[in-house]
Order: sequence, then structure tokens, then C-alpha cells
Amino acid sequence: MNDYLKYFDKFTFIIIIIISLFGILLICSVSQSLDQPYYLKQLLWLSVSLIVFFIVLRIKTEFVFRSSLFLCIVLSIILVIQLVAGQIIGGTKSWIKFGFIAIQVSEFIKIPIALYVANILSKTKIIGWFIFCKLMFLLGIPFLLIAMQPDLGTAFILTSFVIISIFLKRIKLSIIFISIMFVIIGSFLSWNYVLKPYQKNRIVSFFNPEKYSQSSGYQIIQSKIAIGSGGLSGKGFLKGSQSQYKFLPTRHTDFVVSVLGEEFGFIGISFLFLFFFILFYRQFNFKSQTDREFYFVYLFNFLILFQFSINILMSIGLFPILGVPLPFVSYGGSSLLSFFIGEAIIFKIKINNYLNI
Amino acid sequence: MYIEKKKLSIKDVQRISTFTSIILFFLFVVLMFAFWNVQVLKNDYYKSLAIKNIYREIEIKAQRGLIVDRNNDIIAENKLDFSLFLIRKNIKNLEKTIKFINIITNIDKKKILNRIKKYKEYPESYSIPIKRNLSLEKVIYIKSRFDEFPEFKIAIEPTRLYPYKKIGSHILGYLGEVTFKELNQKKSGIYNLGEDIGKIGVEKQYEKSLRGTKGAQIVLKDNLGRIQKVLSEKNPKIGNKIVLTIDWEIQKYIEEIFKDYIGTIGVVDLRTGGILALVSKPNFNPESFSGFLGRDEWNALVNNPNKPLTNRFLQGLYLPGSVFKIVMALTGLQEKIISPSTVANCYGSVKIYDRIFHCWNTSGHGSMNLYNGLKNSCNVFFYTLGKKLDIDIIAKYAKMLGFGSRTNMGLPNEKVGLIPTKSWKLKHLHQKWFPGETISVSIGGGMLNVTPAQVLLMISTVALRGNMPQLHILKRIEYNGKVIRKFKPIFNQVSISKKNFEIVIEGLFRAVNDEGTGKAAKVEGLDICGKTGTQPIISKENPSYERLIKIYRFKAHSWFASFAPRNRPEIAVVVFVEHGGDAGIVAAPLVAKIYKKLFE
Repeated sequence: MNDYLKYFDKFTFIIIIIISLFGILLICSVSQSLDQPYYLKQLLWLSVSLIVFFIVLRIKTEFVFRSSLFLCIVLSIILVIQLVAGQIIGGTKSWIKFGFIAIQVSEFIKIPIALYVANILSKTKIIGWFIFCKLMFLLGIPFLLIAMQPDLGTAFILTSFVIISIFLKRIKLSIIFISIMFVIIGSFLSWNYVLKPYQKNRIVSFFNPEKYSQSSGYQIIQSKIAIGSGGLSGKGFLKGSQSQYKFLPTRHTDFVVSVLGEEFGFIGISFLFLFFFILFYRQFNFKSQTDREFYFVYLFNFLILFQFSINILMSIGLFPILGVPLPFVSYGGSSLLSFFIGEAIIFKIKINNYLNI
Repeated sequence: MYIEKKKLSIKDVQRISTFTSIILFFLFVVLMFAFWNVQVLKNDYYKSLAIKNIYREIEIKAQRGLIVDRNNDIIAENKLDFSLFLIRKNIKNLEKTIKFINIITNIDKKKILNRIKKYKEYPESYSIPIKRNLSLEKVIYIKSRFDEFPEFKIAIEPTRLYPYKKIGSHILGYLGEVTFKELNQKKSGIYNLGEDIGKIGVEKQYEKSLRGTKGAQIVLKDNLGRIQKVLSEKNPKIGNKIVLTIDWEIQKYIEEIFKDYIGTIGVVDLRTGGILALVSKPNFNPESFSGFLGRDEWNALVNNPNKPLTNRFLQGLYLPGSVFKIVMALTGLQEKIISPSTVANCYGSVKIYDRIFHCWNTSGHGSMNLYNGLKNSCNVFFYTLGKKLDIDIIAKYAKMLGFGSRTNMGLPNEKVGLIPTKSWKLKHLHQKWFPGETISVSIGGGMLNVTPAQVLLMISTVALRGNMPQLHILKRIEYNGKVIRKFKPIFNQVSISKKNFEIVIEGLFRAVNDEGTGKAAKVEGLDICGKTGTQPIISKENPSYERLIKIYRFKAHSWFASFAPRNRPEIAVVVFVEHGGDAGIVAAPLVAKIYKKLFE
């Protein structure tokens, strides 16, 4: 137990807590304009996440890795059941209700996927056709299931695993060429047959938001106005007109950073970025002695970085609106809990590394 | 990284970490720059957009000022009405919206669409007025369907109420929607499309005073435009109260006795020049113009051949007929062409410049002096006088007595009329003056054109022995009980001697009180002086005269210009009846009734 405390990465942990508290503060700021006191719920979720965090910290890493494929399959089956029998909440079938609380299974599946992909990567020299197909199969099924809910944002985030895998491992050139062809054909087909008009509108309006200022470009414009009008030091807590008078859409979830930009200005944004930078820097500079654990740390943290970047770029109109929450900050229990579980595994890996287990 | 082996070395891990950190660093630099650009460099731009988002100035309409008569009797006031407005921004389905309006208001669908189109230069959130005077049932019905039709708005607004309806409509005028033309004449900013403006009458003349000052509310609104907070409020200021010189009791009485006629009557208080009554028939109900679309009634008014919208007193141009003999008499006396003892013999007609000029009395009046010439309205006497006068001299006196220029009594769109002169004819008709035309002018014919208002001014000047009053309709303007502007009576002496006026007045007195043409106007004890005028439309020489004279539109116009009492005159009355026939029979009895009412 003493060793645990000694090698527990307290500094990174505090950074994560600070980032999470940013979220509570911002959700608190806009909760007056929302129908529920979301910040209290988020506070509750944070407490739950912390408890789960320390429970996961006690679980053996080996067990976690070994159960990953099983979990992948179980969660995928749940996703299938959801698609078939799930009820629609907020336009998607993303949620499973347990009494008062609703859980988003899609948020959790990324952990066992990351674990299993790390496992595969640690056992391969070079990504050949067989490994590639295995990866695609593993990622493709949850991707399609989540995309059909439809939750394009969460599905899209899973592609970060492919990117980081290619970044880390040597891959056959023929695979890349054929994949690019597939992507082009797939995009074309999905544009014409799969994407719904509102999804297409989001992409079109991203390139010309002013033209669609009353419809789909509205969100981008209002978010930019919120951030831009915040200036250097912001309008002050509870004083952002864009946030308080409901001009910002989904201001407690996807556009939470716009509230920060409006009420706390560039200085507030800089602080948030600083904490995220420290988090990523510390996690990516971890020198693991086992490959599998190393790959997992990279896979999972890159997913956070990927999601972070998309959310931030979306809020200032540099990326189409995908409906991706800001890790640790946006309101949402499933998202928060899943990130804490993933980080708990990483913290455990770090401790193991020092203890040489 | 292209790691090709299964087992990673410490060097590999080191390499990956370093490379990742560099990428991470650049990513954050780019993100910081992007936010710096939006938040600091473009701060002003986005700030202005944020302000535009939340603040809105809402105008509050002002109540229009009251109009009252000289006894403070309210003749135009305001009431609160439900009005229906349309906000384009919230329209979901234009066709459905128009259909709904059509059902509620019965306004033609095409008209509704045109109306909405008219506002295309106004912001999408502007409230377009659609219908006024909504009944309570309709208000409730529309409100019950607000969820389905969020584009509608119902507001309570002051609208004009004329308690006496048609009475005095030409004095009051009416309100109508401001037109594009009016908006372009520097009035934008004060008026918005869909708002009312005075179109004729006092409502137009004193528009500036009556309209009041709009109030404003600065509000904070949310994303759906709902008001969150009122930041500041400036109350509207009611318009000024206009006090007229009109005596509504007399106005009502005259409208009553004159209701079956077409024509006009003006009554003036000679002690001030203030108009006591101004009646023009037919008239209209000024309230028919309030309410936005429904223009059927408006079309009926405009297309009515009797032109109810024309104020005949100021806009009707007529030949003055025998009334003009007063001008002729004064001209002759002042120019010393005639004296009271000058005599002309009337044999029913006279030959001048090889042309026969007729007297109305075909059997002739015999030997006529000036007094009897006026009393009997003998044409031959005035032909003889006209022959001795130059047209320019006649014009000089006519103009001196108020003809050929506006009376400026304080109502808009007054006509000037025409007093012809030699140079006028040369300039406009490119012809020289024929002496025979002067003969026609001398009995009020020819090219003369006068308004009844000018005749009233002339008879008033005669009554006051040359002391010409400024006719006026505005007594004073008040705000909050305080007098802002007050009309002070103005009199101008004309250069005709008092003695000559006395001579003419003697003739006018005889015309009423000594079995003259105006004897039907006589009221015992009132010493009314007056002059008839029966202005034929067709000549007696016309071969079908006997047949045509029975047709209304060929009947003569009837004039009566009068004042009383003879000494210390108080009132002047002019009656004009379009196609009334013999003035002594038609116009004179009306005058008697009016004097009786006035002096009762």
C-alpha cells in the first residue's frame, strides 16, 4: 500500500482533477439557463468516477488485458441489443436507462478496444493484411453499431486508434493505398446513401456558416461569437450573454469550451490548455518497460487528445460539428467515468512499472 | 515511427516520446494562436455581434393628441384596440400563414402576400401590422393557436376614435398608413411602414403636433427573442391637444339641416376670424380608414361621383356668379366710375360690343341705381359698369378682397382659384383679352374660379368695412393643460374707403330686408345683409334649355354670401349648393335657419 502511494502519479492525478473541476464550474455557470442543476449531477458523477478509479487501481493489469476481448464482445452485443430494442433518447439510441441514470455504452467500449489493440500491436512486427483485417474487424463492428445509433461523433473518435497504430507501427504500403481508395468510395457512398440531410448540412455549413446562419451554421456562429466576445479576460462568471441567454447550443456538453472562452476569456482558455498540455506531456513521456502497456498508454491518451482537438477546433469553427464532448470537462457521466477508468489503468501501469511487476 | 520489431528498446520509446512531445507542442501552439486570433484580435467584431444578439430597442407608440372644439368638446380621441401583427422570422409555412390570415380577416390572399412583400427591406423580426380592431373572440382564437403559428403577435394599441363619426369629417380629416412616398420625405426614422399619418384635414395639418413622441424600451432578449429583462424604459409622450375654433353645436346643426344637399357651408366669427362651422357634403366617416387592409370602403369613397373626400369649401372651384357683383360695386365706387346715384336702365338685356347680354329677369328691372342693382342683382347694371372698367382693375380689387390666393385658414390642400388678367391670358392661353370677356366677369362669369372659402373671406371683409380678418381654424395648441401656441386674431385693412363699403352694405341690406333677391334669408331683428348668386350651367339661349334645366347636373349653382348684424357685425355665413337652382329659394332659407340658430 505504501508503494502504491509512493509511485502513484499524484501530480498528473491533480491535473485531471483540476480539469474536471473546470467542467463543474462551467456547467454550474450555465445551469441557470438549463432545466436541471447539471453541475450537481456532474459532481455526483465525479465522485462515482473517483471511487471507480481507485477500485480499478486495485485490479491486476494482466486480468484487465486478458478480459479485454471478452468485454469487447459483451459490449458489442449490448450495442446490438440497443439498436434493436433500445429507446430513443435525444434522437439517438445511445442510452441504456437504469432507473434514474442513463448509461452510454459506446463511451465504455473504447477501453477494451484500446487494451486489445495494444495487445495485438505488442505481438506484431509489421502490420500485414491479416493483422490489419483483425484490427478493422475489431474496430469496424463497434464503429458501425455506434454510427447507426446514430452517434457519428463517438464512432469517429474510434478512428483515432487506426491513426495512432499507423503512426507507431510499420504498415504495408499496399494496405494504405487500398484503404485510401476504400475511404474515398465509402465517403462517396455514405454521402449519397447513408448520411441524413442534417448531417450533410453540418458539413456544408461548416464551410460557409454565414450562409446558414439561421439553420445549421447557427451553432458554429454562436459559438464563435461567444468565444470571440470573451476577449482577453472574459465577461466574468455567470456574465456571458451568449451562455446565459441560451444562444449557445449544448453549452453544458459539446460547447462547454465556448462558455469558458466567453466568461473567462483567452486567459481561462490558456489555463485549460496548459493543464491539458501537462496531462498529455506527462502521459506520452512515460517510459514503460512492457510493450503492451506502452501501446495502451499511447492508444488511450491519443484518443483523449484526438477528442480534445476535435472538440476545441469545432468550437471555433475549424472542424465540422460532430457532437464530441470535451474529455473530463463536458457534462456526461458515461464519458467522465470511462475516461477515469482508462486513466486508472494507466496509473496502475505506471505503478507497476516502478514496482517492476 | 515504423517500428518493425516486436520488442521495443528503451531507445525506441525515447524516440517516440520525443517525437510525440514535439507534435504535441506544435498542436497546442496552433490552438493557442487560433484562440488568440478569435478572442483578442477579432474581439471587437464578435463583441458587437454578441451585443446585437441580446439587445433590442422596442418602440412604444405614442397616443395621438386629442382634437377638441372651442368648448372643449372632444371630437377626436383614442381607444385601445387589439391589433394583429406578423413576424416574418417565425413563419414556418408561408402558405399556411396566409391561409390563416385569410380565414381570420377575410382579406384577399394575394393582398396579404403583397403586404408582406412590402416589408422586405425591414428586418425579419419587424412586426408587420395585419389587422386592427380585432374582436375579442378572434383574439382568443388566435392566441389559442400561438403554438402552431408563432409568427403572430397580438398587441393592444391606441387607435383613433371619432365620436361624432361623419360630423365635421372634412375638418378632422383621417389617418391612413404612411406611404413609401411619405417615408422618403425625411419622415423615415419618425414613421415606420404600417404606422398611421394624417392624410387630410386637421389630422394632416397638425400631424407634427398630434403625433406625440414615441417611447422606447431597451430589453435583453434570449435566443428565441423572448424578453428577459427590461433595461431601460422611456415612456411615450401623448401628442398635443388641438383646440379648434369650431363650435360643434353649430357644426352639428348645420350638418343636420344640410344633410340632403351637395355643397358647402362656412360660418365665421367676425370678431376673431375663427371658423365656427365648416360643412362639406357629402362627407365620410373618418374611422373607415383605420384598420389596415380592407379597402373596399376606401374604393367606394374614391369612386363615388359625388366625391365625398373633397372638401368643397376649400377645394371646390366654382364661378362666383352674382356674388361677384359685390367686388364689381366696390371697384366702381373706389375707382369713382360710379356713385350711388349712377343709374342704368334694364330692359331685360343689353347690347354691348355687338353682342346681346341678358339679365336674369327677362322682362327687365327698369331704372336701377347701385343699391337696387345689388338688391335685385340686376345684370344690366353691372354689364354697364363692367364696360367702363378694365379687367386688370377688376382683378386688382378682387385680389385685394382675397380672391386668387389661399385663405390659409389652417387646412391642407386648399385651392387657389383664378382671377384672370390680360397678362395671365396672354401667358397661359397665348391670346389677348377680349373686352366682351370683361362683361361676363362683371356678373361673376367668364374665367373666374373661386372657392367658397374665398367668398367667405370677401364677405367678411365687406362686413368689417375693409378690415380683412385672417380666417383660421386653430384656436390654440395645449400640452398637459398648458398653452403652447395660441392664435391671435389678425386683421389687415384693405385700401377701399369705409364710405364705399357702407354704400355696398346698404345694397346688401336691401337684398335681404327690402324684398330683394335674398328676402328668404330675412330674420326679424337681425339686420342680415347678403347677396345671392345663381350661377347657371347652361345658357338660356341654348335651344334645349327647357329640357336640360330639369336634369340635375345642368341646374344652376346657388350661392349666398351674408353677414349679420349690419352694424357691429358678428357672423358671416356662406352657403353654396351644387346644382341647387335659384339661390333665393334654395340657399337663402338655409342662411336664415343658421342665423336663427346662431343668435338664439
